[in-house]
Amino acid sequence: MKGKISGLSVKLIASVLLLSVLLCAAISYMGYREFTTVLEEEYNRSAYEIAETAKTYLNPDRLDYYLETGEIDQEYLDIQAKLDALVVSTDSYIIYVTKLSDNYTTSTYIFDSVHPDTGFTRYELGYTAQDMDPAYQEEVAEIMTTGERSAVYFYSYTQASGAHTTAAIPVENSAGEIVAFLGVEKAMTALENARSTYVWNVMGITMLAVALFLLVYIGFLRREVVSPILTIAGEAQRFAEDNVARLDLLEQIRKEDEIGTLARVIGKMETDIVQYVENLTAVTAEKERIGAELNVATQIQADMLPWIFPPFPDRQEFDIYATMTPAKEVGGDFYDFFLVDQDHLAVVMADVSGKGVPAALFMVIAKTLIKNHAQAGMAPSRVFETVNNQLCENNEAGMFVTAFLGILEISTGRFTYVNAGHNPPLAALGGQPYDWLPSKRSFVLAGMENVHYRQQEITLLPGDRLFLYTDGVTEALDPDNALYSDSRLQAFFNEVDLADKSLEEQLALLHQDIAAFAAGAEQADDITMLLLRINETDGRNENG
Amino acid sequence: MTITKNVDHNTLRITLEGRLDTNTAPQLEAELKSSTGGISELIFDFSGLDYISSAGLRVLLAAQKTMNKQGKMTILHVNETIMEVFEITGFVDILTIA
Repeated sequence: MKGKISGLSVKLIASVLLLSVLLCAAISYMGYREFTTVLEEEYNRSAYEIAETAKTYLNPDRLDYYLETGEIDQEYLDIQAKLDALVVSTDSYIIYVTKLSDNYTTSTYIFDSVHPDTGFTRYELGYTAQDMDPAYQEEVAEIMTTGERSAVYFYSYTQASGAHTTAAIPVENSAGEIVAFLGVEKAMTALENARSTYVWNVMGITMLAVALFLLVYIGFLRREVVSPILTIAGEAQRFAEDNVARLDLLEQIRKEDEIGTLARVIGKMETDIVQYVENLTAVTAEKERIGAELNVATQIQADMLPWIFPPFPDRQEFDIYATMTPAKEVGGDFYDFFLVDQDHLAVVMADVSGKGVPAALFMVIAKTLIKNHAQAGMAPSRVFETVNNQLCENNEAGMFVTAFLGILEISTGRFTYVNAGHNPPLAALGGQPYDWLPSKRSFVLAGMENVHYRQQEITLLPGDRLFLYTDGVTEALDPDNALYSDSRLQAFFNEVDLADKSLEEQLALLHQDIAAFAAGAEQADDITMLLLRINETDGRNENG
Repeated sequence: MTITKNVDHNTLRITLEGRLDTNTAPQLEAELKSSTGGISELIFDFSGLDYISSAGLRVLLAAQKTMNKQGKMTILHVNETIMEVFEITGFVDILTIA
């Protein structure tokens, strides 16, 4: 990262620079203020000392005399000479002694010593000037009445003479009366130069210190803050791109502060994320495996149902066709048909309660038991009574099956059947339209032990048809949750022209009708149906 | 489906609204499992129930078996559609429908 100026560095340096400039300005201003105050006080103090010295040269009792007579005697000249010498020796600007008018607006000069370098000439004895600055009148009045020094010192700045300070003291005669006003003006020539030098020095030193500090501080920031953070940022970016945890760089940041914590946390996060992704991959793989197994299970379940048509190509006395369309997951519907012997055909239609793997497992048991017992030659009611009791054993899950079993004696057309809580089949008998096959009510299989199943019997003639189905047909839903219903099913068989259609085509048409009714609504339950037709025994076989 | 429970002494009254099918039956099964302890009379009010599937029947059968051991179970206000299901499946013979 060396040589490359990161956004973070720039921001940090800029903020420190800004802070330095503000600090420098503040220090310079305070220095300027302090310096000025101290120097001005010093100048003023020295002006007062000069004033006190000048006062000792005077003979206060004679001052009024000089003004009244205008006489300049030897004593006056001596005093003036002393004051002139004092002006020069103290490098003062002016020393003057004046008599002030009662309202302090005019001053009449008694002595006036001017420094030769100023180029001014002195005001002679008795010269009266309206020169009192109104701003100072109150101060002067205070001095003249109380004899005390002014709390503030006079300070003025003129273009011609620069800054100067004034000391003003009253002059008392031997009787203690204030008879004159003594002023000393001293130029503060040194102030300006010294002050700017001082301020520049302060600024220079501050800037130098700040610059040094900046260098050290930037180095510190780079090493302690910027560089580790850039490392962490770079590492995080790298991780975001390749998702491989690499802790070597992060572990180099061995710090006990927040940056160290950040580095450790990022490192932990990388490890955790990698771990998490691994777990997720494993879980996903497991889920895929289970999904694949479920697909196989569904396939096995479907394969358990007879699915080769025509199933008995050499039997021309009847045609049979059946389909099962599972809903989303593996379900519990099943149909079955098989020859018990050469003269008996068994047909089964059943629905296990619930869905999923439990229903599918229960279906396998139920189907196997029914087929085994039916093939043993038992009457349908006996088959169900036996199967029911067997299913009830160890049925902790409380599953049950609705089932219809019919056994056709092919030679006579005698059809013996039993209904364990299943939807009654539709039958078209003796050339009549389809109607519900009369079925005596019996309880479902596996619901309760020792249930008696009532057996019924009819005779099927050539041309008769029997339709078995599960509630997936009649309870198919449209988008408004309306049921396909028994009446629609009955109407389909009686109103659609099915005369020339094979059984397969008829069931396909029924499927289409249900799909049209559902209008895109999801299929909630398995749709299973079986169609049986008794043929004329002239050898015709329409099975598609 | 909405399940409303009311317990009065040893009587538990459950009012169902909506559809009792594969998706909602486990909900009722869990409710029953947690609330039938010590109950001697279980009353179902089906006036708001529109539909019952085989999964729902399974829960009712389990409830009936439980109540056979500890008291009685009655179902009230069964609509025509559901009554038909009870009749087809033979549940009318084992349930007390008032």
